[in-house]
Amino acid sequence: MNNLKLSIKEIHSRLVNKEITPLDLVEECYEKIEENSILNSFITVNKVEATEYAKELSKQEVEKDNLLWGIPIAIKDNISTKGIRTTCASRMLENYIPIYDATVIEKIKEQKMIIIGKTNMDEFAMGSTSRTSYFGSPKNPVDPTKITGGSSGGSAACVAGGLVPLALGTDTGGSIRQPASYTGIVGMKPTYGRVSRYGLIAFGSSLDQIGPMTRNVYENALLLNTLVGRDKKDLTSADKEIEDFTRLIGQEVKGMKIAIPKYFVSDIVSPIIIEKLNRVVEILEANGNTVEYIDMKYLDQAVTLYQIIAMGEASSNLARFDGVKFGYRSENSSSVEEMYENTRGEGFGKEVKRRIMVGSYLLSGDNAKTYYDKALMIRNAMKQEFDKVFKEYDFILGPTTTTVAYPLDENLDDPTKSFMDDVLVIPVNMAGLPGMSIPMGKDQDNMPIGLHIIGNRFEEAKMYQLAYDLEKKLK
Amino acid sequence: MNKLSREEVLHVAHLARIKVTDEEIEKYQIDLKKLLDDVDKINDIEVESEELLVTPVEQDSVLRSDQETSSVSFEEIKKNVPAVTGNFVEVPVMIGE
Repeated sequence: MNNLKLSIKEIHSRLVNKEITPLDLVEECYEKIEENSILNSFITVNKVEATEYAKELSKQEVEKDNLLWGIPIAIKDNISTKGIRTTCASRMLENYIPIYDATVIEKIKEQKMIIIGKTNMDEFAMGSTSRTSYFGSPKNPVDPTKITGGSSGGSAACVAGGLVPLALGTDTGGSIRQPASYTGIVGMKPTYGRVSRYGLIAFGSSLDQIGPMTRNVYENALLLNTLVGRDKKDLTSADKEIEDFTRLIGQEVKGMKIAIPKYFVSDIVSPIIIEKLNRVVEILEANGNTVEYIDMKYLDQAVTLYQIIAMGEASSNLARFDGVKFGYRSENSSSVEEMYENTRGEGFGKEVKRRIMVGSYLLSGDNAKTYYDKALMIRNAMKQEFDKVFKEYDFILGPTTTTVAYPLDENLDDPTKSFMDDVLVIPVNMAGLPGMSIPMGKDQDNMPIGLHIIGNRFEEAKMYQLAYDLEKKLK
Repeated sequence: MNKLSREEVLHVAHLARIKVTDEEIEKYQIDLKKLLDDVDKINDIEVESEELLVTPVEQDSVLRSDQETSSVSFEEIKKNVPAVTGNFVEVPVMIGE
């Protein structure tokens, strides 16, 4: 069995021709997951239900116009799945079973896709390496001694390792794009509001987005097609007409104006990564596009902004984990106050506790003005800076990360390092823009290097056009 | 080394309603100081407009009609509650005898 290596289109045609059934695909997924258990990419596998559902689908007629019919998918473990344990990689939710589906899960089920399991991640999505997971770190399929990146590390690992063809991740400050870059896959963080966040267990509500993580550009656009749309249950979801994100794929990219902020190619980025980016620039210019290096204000301050906004919002969002109605509860507390403190002290891991504590401090009393309000002023200025660039240019490009994936045992004890890993991708969340990472080469040790494409709001289709063109030309 | 005092850590931990052990306090004295020094850089950044950005993509607010909609039953909710008595969520005593 080697169906999982095929493209979604090829798998679909095998399904239509009755050469295979969804059950074959599901069985192959679980075999691969078992063979690659060292990758630790799943927290929970949904084997019994998925197998049963695949059997049921195998008796049904294939929907010929629905390429995603019967296709297996993996879901990051901070997205609520009715009846399937959803832990956020935390002891706090170790035994939590949602009683409703996130809106994206409803949409996936409407397409008759098959949920294979819930993927490993940084605890409550807080981290850049997936090592803060209560269930142990996932490992990079390219080199299992290296990190997957994070926080959507398990989703990246299972797609890159060929265990499941498609996955959902979430991105608050780079958590889809950075692990996609480290593992050599395609990851898209859509425009803020493009995808409903209903049922996503919130971390930084003004930054969070759900997005697709896939093996190639076309399949990424295809999966995004099913995720989008206005949702009455999420008032920040955008009321946009339904569009086909694959529609511009295959059209040549010509006469486009592309900006590269000088900060994205400054000395914080490894020379080998700059080298790969230069090749992309050559390709673009050779095909009649213009590339210009520009100055942009505030990019170097994005991490500071992110720390304040993300930790502040996290401290507020995670206040709900108090041991009362769901999740972990510490035993033997003599008062409610003590129960809160014990529950949170025992239920959260150290990265999460650190961030909640700093966030609570930043939002307490006058600090809210000094820190949070000031951060929102700079956030506004940063957004305007991006808007100015997009008046003149079609895209902003840069590397996704400053280095390739590093060893699992490196940088373990620095509370600020995880923020620096996302220095190039955070500004996109600040401005609510869509951003994606596609592979643009490998270093001398075969570790993947990602190209970061930033588009204007709601211009994902145009980004896929560019990404597909480059994907082809970089091969 | 530059670090927070024990009392400062305990104050922050209390704000967050997180119990910290003695061993943890020592670590937080250093780690939290590092993070707070980082966020202090915000004061050095100059910005021309004082306008705040609360959400990056503005959406119109939508109202729904004031009608009852379906919701989940307590039977369902109960499955995730750590301690239940009848139709009540059980917590430690809140008011003294």
